[in-house]
Amino acid sequence: MLAFATLSAQTSDLLPAGKTHLRESAQDGARALETFLAEVERKAFRIAQIALRHESDALDVVQDAMMQLAHRYSTRPSEEWRPLFYRILENRIRDMQRRRIVRQRVMSLLPWRGEDEDEGPDPIEQAPDGGPSPVTQIESQQMMQSLEQALEQLPARQRQAFLLRNIEGLDVAETAAAMKCSQGSVKTHYFRALHALRAKLGDFAP
Amino acid sequence: MTTRTDETEFERRTRQLLQDSIEALPAATRSRLTRARHAALASRPSWTSRLSWHWMPAGASVLAVAAVALFMALPHGESPAVNPLANATPEDIEMLADSDAVQLGREDDLDYDFYEWAVGEATGANAPSVGS
Repeated sequence: MLAFATLSAQTSDLLPAGKTHLRESAQDGARALETFLAEVERKAFRIAQIALRHESDALDVVQDAMMQLAHRYSTRPSEEWRPLFYRILENRIRDMQRRRIVRQRVMSLLPWRGEDEDEGPDPIEQAPDGGPSPVTQIESQQMMQSLEQALEQLPARQRQAFLLRNIEGLDVAETAAAMKCSQGSVKTHYFRALHALRAKLGDFAP
Repeated sequence: MTTRTDETEFERRTRQLLQDSIEALPAATRSRLTRARHAALASRPSWTSRLSWHWMPAGASVLAVAAVALFMALPHGESPAVNPLANATPEDIEMLADSDAVQLGREDDLDYDFYEWAVGEATGANAPSVGS
């Protein structure tokens, strides 16, 4: 490791004047990427958690998405990171959901499978913690649970459009880039999601 | 990210609820996300590796030139696979091209008795003995 560091230092000393920008831009890029990931990681986690209803799986897919972005796309312009990251995240969520379906089918075929082996989310683990006051906290928890249940029942594309717009705050064009579809499709998905949620949640008054 | 002016009260409340849930993430979850971020940043290709990619075309060109120069500089001795017709006379080639000519190279076509007799005739060894 020390040898590598020494070699790196020597290499940088040998760099022509015109090439030192590579190292500087790489350092700037690393800082920019860290800032970006720090900004999106919690929102991404909530999107994954709502879609998967499982904290550990949500953490896994967020980590996978971050690693994929850093490893393969970090050299792309930073303006492209957000839609790329959310596209990767959605792919990982879909992969995880498929794996679960396969796992559940296989487990259902096993005669010795016990009920305690169910992979469903732990309600205690899933319950959000923290909050300003106990009453407000309970109300918020109930509302959040209702919202999460309603979101869970939405088709994946509608949920994706709704969460990208309301958690991440992407506009229609950015959402379309992240979902790899047209802006018209985003508007349709979002409109249908909104109506379905309204139909389930009513006024949704606190 | 944009602020939307045409959103409904329902959307505003929903978004607020989601944002609050992000703020209320447990410390353990936030810590795991931070660790995941650091792991992702560590997996990022280093600037030195990107530098090597940057120099790769030049390196490949230099390598190709060196290989050609080495090939040209090597002494080229007689190749074992020499063309046997390189020093042949036109008569040799004509004989080989003649499909009716005796196929000397084929073992089955060699009549050893005939050649033995012919040699004997030439040397007089086949001369009939007196009284035979």
